[in-house]
Amino acid sequence: MTMHGMRGLSVFISDIRNCQNKEQERLRIDKELGNVRNRFKNEKGLTPYEKKKYVWKMLYIYMLGYDVDFGHMETVSLISAPKYPEKQVGYIATSCLLNENNDFLRLAINTVRNDIIGRNETFQCLALTMVGNIGGREFAESLAPDVQNLLLSSSCRPLVRKKAALCLLRLYRKNPDVVNVDGWADRMAQLLDERDLGVLTSSMSLLVALVSNNHEAYWSCLPKCVKILERLARNQDVPQEYTYYGIPSPWLQVKTMRALQYFPTIEDPSTRRTLFEVLQRILMGTDVVKNVNKNNASHAVLFEALALVMHLDAEKEMMSQCVALLGKFIAVREPNIRYLGLENMTRMLMVTDVQEIIKRHQAQIITSLKDPDVSIRRRALDLLYGMCDVTNAKDIVEELLQYLSSADFTMREELSLKAAILAEKFAPDLSWYVDVILQLIDKAGDFISDDIWFRVVQFVTNNDDLQPYAAAKVKEYIDKPAVHETMVKVSAYILGEYSHLLARRPGCSPKEIFSILHEKLATVSTTTIPILLSAYAKILMHTQPPDQELQSQIWAIFNKYESCIDAEIQQRAVEYLALCQKGAALMDILAEMPKFPERKSSLIKRAEYSEADTAEQSATKLRAQQQTSNALVVTDQYPANGVTLRISVGQLSLIKVPSMITTENDTSTDQALSQQNGSLSKVDPQPPSVDLLSDILGPFAVEGPPGATVQSEHIAVSGLEGGSDAVDGSAIVPVEEHTNTVQPIGNIAERFHALCLKDSGVLYEDPYIQIGIKAEGRGHHVHLVLFLGNKNTAPLVSVHAIILPPAHLKMEFSLVPDTIPPRAQVQCPLEIVNLRPSRDVAVLDFSYKFGTNMVNVKLRLPAVLNKFLQPIQVPAEEFFPQWRSLSGPPLKLQEVVRGVRPMPLPEMANLLDSFRIMICPGLDPNPNNLVASTTFYSESTHAMLCLVRIETDPADRTQLRMTLASGDPSLTFELKEFIKEQLISIPTARSPAPAPKAPPTAQPTPQIPPNDPAAILAGLLS
Amino acid sequence: MPVAASAIYLLNLRGDVLINRLYRDDVGGNMVDAFRMHIMQTKELGTCPVRQIGGCSFFYMRISNVYIVIVVSSNANVACAFKFVVEAVALFKSYFGGAFDEDAIRNNFVLIYELLDEIMDFGYPQNLSPEILKLYITQEGVRSPFSSKPSDKPVPNATLQVTGAVGWRREGLVYKKNEVFLDIVESVNLLMSSKGSVLRCDVTGKILMKCFLSGMPDLKLGLNDKIGLEKESQLKSRPAKSGKTIELDDVTFHQCVNLTRFNSEKTVSFVPPDGEFELMKYRITEGVNLPFRVLPTIKELGRTRMEVNVKVKSVFGAKMFALGVVIKIPVPKQTAKTSFQVTSGRAKYQASIDCLVWKIRKFPGQTEPTLSAEVELISTMAEKKSWTRPPIQMEFQVPMFTASGLRVRFLKVWEKSGYNTVEWVRYITKAGSYEIRC
Repeated sequence: MTMHGMRGLSVFISDIRNCQNKEQERLRIDKELGNVRNRFKNEKGLTPYEKKKYVWKMLYIYMLGYDVDFGHMETVSLISAPKYPEKQVGYIATSCLLNENNDFLRLAINTVRNDIIGRNETFQCLALTMVGNIGGREFAESLAPDVQNLLLSSSCRPLVRKKAALCLLRLYRKNPDVVNVDGWADRMAQLLDERDLGVLTSSMSLLVALVSNNHEAYWSCLPKCVKILERLARNQDVPQEYTYYGIPSPWLQVKTMRALQYFPTIEDPSTRRTLFEVLQRILMGTDVVKNVNKNNASHAVLFEALALVMHLDAEKEMMSQCVALLGKFIAVREPNIRYLGLENMTRMLMVTDVQEIIKRHQAQIITSLKDPDVSIRRRALDLLYGMCDVTNAKDIVEELLQYLSSADFTMREELSLKAAILAEKFAPDLSWYVDVILQLIDKAGDFISDDIWFRVVQFVTNNDDLQPYAAAKVKEYIDKPAVHETMVKVSAYILGEYSHLLARRPGCSPKEIFSILHEKLATVSTTTIPILLSAYAKILMHTQPPDQELQSQIWAIFNKYESCIDAEIQQRAVEYLALCQKGAALMDILAEMPKFPERKSSLIKRAEYSEADTAEQSATKLRAQQQTSNALVVTDQYPANGVTLRISVGQLSLIKVPSMITTENDTSTDQALSQQNGSLSKVDPQPPSVDLLSDILGPFAVEGPPGATVQSEHIAVSGLEGGSDAVDGSAIVPVEEHTNTVQPIGNIAERFHALCLKDSGVLYEDPYIQIGIKAEGRGHHVHLVLFLGNKNTAPLVSVHAIILPPAHLKMEFSLVPDTIPPRAQVQCPLEIVNLRPSRDVAVLDFSYKFGTNMVNVKLRLPAVLNKFLQPIQVPAEEFFPQWRSLSGPPLKLQEVVRGVRPMPLPEMANLLDSFRIMICPGLDPNPNNLVASTTFYSESTHAMLCLVRIETDPADRTQLRMTLASGDPSLTFELKEFIKEQLISIPTARSPAPAPKAPPTAQPTPQIPPNDPAAILAGLLS
Repeated sequence: MPVAASAIYLLNLRGDVLINRLYRDDVGGNMVDAFRMHIMQTKELGTCPVRQIGGCSFFYMRISNVYIVIVVSSNANVACAFKFVVEAVALFKSYFGGAFDEDAIRNNFVLIYELLDEIMDFGYPQNLSPEILKLYITQEGVRSPFSSKPSDKPVPNATLQVTGAVGWRREGLVYKKNEVFLDIVESVNLLMSSKGSVLRCDVTGKILMKCFLSGMPDLKLGLNDKIGLEKESQLKSRPAKSGKTIELDDVTFHQCVNLTRFNSEKTVSFVPPDGEFELMKYRITEGVNLPFRVLPTIKELGRTRMEVNVKVKSVFGAKMFALGVVIKIPVPKQTAKTSFQVTSGRAKYQASIDCLVWKIRKFPGQTEPTLSAEVELISTMAEKKSWTRPPIQMEFQVPMFTASGLRVRFLKVWEKSGYNTVEWVRYITKAGSYEIRC
């Protein structure tokens, strides 16, 4: 470099290098900095040589990691020096010491610009390098046009143009808004005609940046890119210095293919054909060779080509060729190449349907599972997981199981999780699934998360014919001497539930089962003991005829645990003992578990979670992201208690479509439902695992009031709708509506009531769809928007929405599209005009099809009377004349209402307020009375003032006298009835909704039949 | 006795291990790597001498160009460990003839290993007295059995030395000329505000003694301290003599001083070890005579100029003089140019410590030389941080002056043979951390 003759600098550097330790170095540097400061402060000024020398020293000190916060002025001033050595250090030091926001840079802009537009190409290069390195906004603003001119200039040497392209790229990346690229498509196309590969490579980098921002404008560049690729692939006109190990400029090849991936597709058939020829050539021409560098280069090209092939959705033949090539890769000894092969195969799996071809390499992939390199093993596992389907699931899962015992501990959890998911997803028959999971628990108990065994329990519970098999199987396992605790949990649960099905087999008498289970009690932790206790209780219950000896044994255990320090165990022991002593009632409460609602396997959720971090940044992925990003992501709302959601369907149908209700336990539906497990589980929303747990343990953990009330209500509902107690003694049966195989999430009636009071919220939700609503009222017009959000990755088809308006509402409803794309949201505006007062409610008949499921729901729309009210405060001097002028029926109605839900006065005021009826305080001298006013809007009545007076009796809060007055008789009546309904039955989470048509007095609060088991239970607990 | 060390390392400034000795196996052998990685290569070296890395504590100390690092993993007594290091260094110095540095260590590997074996056992400090150790660990090589000259030295009686009543002195010493040298060395610590008011001030002093006395002499030292004088006047039942008395705090004595007699009679009487030793240490917090007053005025004129005026006044007797006076006046980091005017001594700017250093070799009493300097600062990129103005530091030595006013009243030597002794007394006052805020 230009160090010649700068003795001071080299002495300084050798001093620094000779320093024994950090401290000496620091002292030397502080001394030197003092010297430099002194020199820079010299009045006489410095010669250019001295200035250069000290700036070099400063740069060196800065590079060693010390703060240099002075001398920038000198540095910048060197840029304008006329000679190369000074200019060079000026540019280099400036680009190192100053960042883009430094004010000193402004001083340099003019000089830099002069250098760029000057004739001296060495200076041009220096300036371009510095601008590219700093790349600030001000540089971009003032220099970008000059740099652009330089790039296109025909008089410049390729060296300068190369630098100009890269400089422009950097400016564009930093400030895409400042650099004007309008009309650059033609110029880029022109640049791509360049013969010089250096300029071409730089321009291609620029093109990639431009295209990634906006590919539309650069269609004209596409054929040129293909042409460049062709030129390189055929090795035409590639100078020696641009070939790397015989490969013509691999960098340019990769960049070109990357640029091509930003175009969605290639339409022109001839271009497409040429491109595929080139790709074919790349695919054919790549092989594994000895030389590492050559391998690296050719593989980089190859993998980019693969990405492009995947992106373009090439024909199957080409895909199979790719897979064959990758198959060769994964057979190679060299681990890096094998890793890349596996990784790319996994990627191919994601994008295109080449599973069949990949399957041919299954054996090889399984071998990779035993590779000494852990990263290869992980890739192989991912690939196996991805390529698994019904045909090969058995092989793969068995292979994984076999591998599990030899796998290293870091992988076991993931391995077992994946094996469990595959077994569930692709089980050819359910007994096989049970076999696999039990084997899994047996082999890798420590690595089995609770989710896995929860899942198997759900399966067994939901499949009647599986139950004896599972029970027999777990008995086999638990018979072994050393059993993992998870196995004990599963066994205890399954044997507790279903061991009676085995009773006739040898060695399976309740007593024997009990003794097998009880052997394990001493070895398990406190989380398992409750499950064992439940199992004992169930075994005892199933023992027919009752066995006195067994009973005394089990009672003794319960007795023992009655004083256990663990609250859960203690409570169970106490309750089971009490239940057992009740005798026959035991039968009802400890009946078989009801079937679990279908939901997405939490295992898959976990797997998705763990996969999320292996993101890859290919253009393909980018494309996939773009697709999802324009769809709305709907937040899933989980019910607080998994059990409640079963009720809501029944409730809704009770209100709206009585004909559809069935009170019997429709076993055939259940059967059909359980048959769909495999396919359904993939797309459900994910319930949290806590929820799952509460499901499994809930109905028998007789924990407290919430569970009990849920059950009792549940029965109350079925009692109501059927008129008779359809609940037989043996089971607590979930109410199923036979047309809907989909369970809504949350309570529909509750959601409706909530929406009556507020303007926006969720109207309905199930695993596939969420319907939101937003209302906006203007007088007698209400503008409603329905938001239909598809929660899945598959489209919802045959979507129909019909609104059945009541006579008093005029509705304009825009058409709902037939299909809702995956993860998208559709908005349907709805105009409602209120013609006259009425309490009738509009109903939305909504249906859609998902897979083979036809789902139909009828939903009440919250366009109720109070939506057309406008609260108004009426002063006393206006109120009383009005009140007096409206005298007597039908304009003024009075009624004594009994059976009012007792509530304090302020609460009642709040309630009225939430219905937009405004309380006017101080009008009535009696503090126990409420006076309120509101305005009602409809087409027939226009704006109509309504006055309300409610007189309450402090002694008896269940009755009150209500007086209503308005200028319209029907309005007075309807509003009175409306308020009455609301006062009598306030919708709460646990009370069934009132039927709007039914007279309120006919709506009894659910009475619990005395022989109801849940009632006994509740009585026991209270 | 608390544990003091699990291992000791001697490192040079680059971090190479010169010598290591593991006393316990609760620390690994690669501990020194942790020290190098986490302490030597960071800026924290020198800020805190005790650092914990992992489960181990590192106590370290730099002496000339050697780091002495003690590693412990248990809850050790830190003070004990440092005291051990200080004593060990004194021991090494007395063996090597005064120097303790990398070269001295490289030249005495075997000797150091021998000493390290002797002075600590399983992490517990042992006898560190050079006088005694020199009896057993000699610097002479092993004498060949064929060498003609038989040893004329008496075989040292180990049990007597370790268990005897006067363990620190050999019997049968004979000097032609019986001499005693007493040095009273005081260092003054001061923190003064810019207005001249004293914020903190104390003197730590020690009395060093060098004895060349025959036989087993009994010595008695009298000082002008308050307790001693009061007791004396009580005993002699006459009023205390007028004149200044000094109140000594935190007095510690060498083990040779008879403490029972000190407690009952308040006299310092002792049988001295042979050669040089530290007789006592003390501290004084009141009635300190400051040897120097410093009056600084530092003005910042705009962003790039400063004016510094410092006047130093010597307040001891006009016939006395201070030696090696150095005044360090801190200036901002971006100092570029300086120009000085001094009435005595020389001044210059030292960039490596960011100070103006004013040196006066000989500084007579009752004078007040001044320094005035102009400092030019270079403008910097960074937002001008307000300069913290660290205090001015001062170094000096004033012979024949005690900041405490302590005087030796008498030193009596009594020996069976009744020889005459010559006593020499010297006083010197040094600067400890003598700081003046500006």
